[in-house]
Amino acid sequence: MSRNLILRESQIMKVHYITGVAALFVVAVHILMRLVVPYGSSLEYDHVIFNYHNIFYAVLLEVILVLVSIHGFNGLRVILLELRQSTRWENSVTATIIAMIGLVIYGTRTIIIANGLGT
Amino acid sequence: MGVLEQKNNRNNREGFLGWLDPTRYGWERFSYWAQRLTGVFLLVYFVGHVYETSSLTSGKDAWNAMLELTQTVWGHLFLIMVIGTSTFHSVNGIRIIFTELGKGLGKPGRPDYPYYPSSLNRRQRSGIWIALILAAIAMLYGSNVLFSGE
Repeated sequence: MSRNLILRESQIMKVHYITGVAALFVVAVHILMRLVVPYGSSLEYDHVIFNYHNIFYAVLLEVILVLVSIHGFNGLRVILLELRQSTRWENSVTATIIAMIGLVIYGTRTIIIANGLGT
Repeated sequence: MGVLEQKNNRNNREGFLGWLDPTRYGWERFSYWAQRLTGVFLLVYFVGHVYETSSLTSGKDAWNAMLELTQTVWGHLFLIMVIGTSTFHSVNGIRIIFTELGKGLGKPGRPDYPYYPSSLNRRQRSGIWIALILAAIAMLYGSNVLFSGE
């Protein structure tokens, strides 16, 4: 395992489990927001923008984005580390962190812009 | 075997094929690779979903054009797969967390022939079955919502 880790693998796995369980709850709220209105109209542009204007919902989306990104990319990192072991490979696999940060930035951009758009 | 020879000996490394071999370890092996495959599938979906929703920033026409991709039979079938895999991944993930915490593993016993490990017991298997059954129910519910459009 890489010596430059800030967290031990056992601590990273705790983060993995906590983000997984937390994501389960916030994603459930996200899906319920779709089901409280008729399915067809829940995806209409004006309705979606209206949801993004709700600051609590925008924060919820950001929380989902961060939790699922951490859980998902760490899961991918664990799978890749299980497949092969070498210092070079393990250092390369750390690149999943860059992909995770990139996705969070891209998703945050959408939330911020949609939050400021007119209906 | 020398250290260098041992280091270069990769005969025992099966990679993906090792995961997918269903002939060993039974349902626990199935659960192992199903958790990983559903996880990778859901990560791909999540990245696609973040990209898909970014079309909001380009206006109503861009949003509607992106939405049309999922408003087809194949789009609905893909979303039903997402519903099933996410339900399985969540429920089986909770089982794995309990297992990691030492819950449901049973008491350690003397290793007698045919050496069935006490950790791979009925409680663990029923957890896998519950995950599969709930995934099937969620898929049926999702199909009903998606294809009836209500």
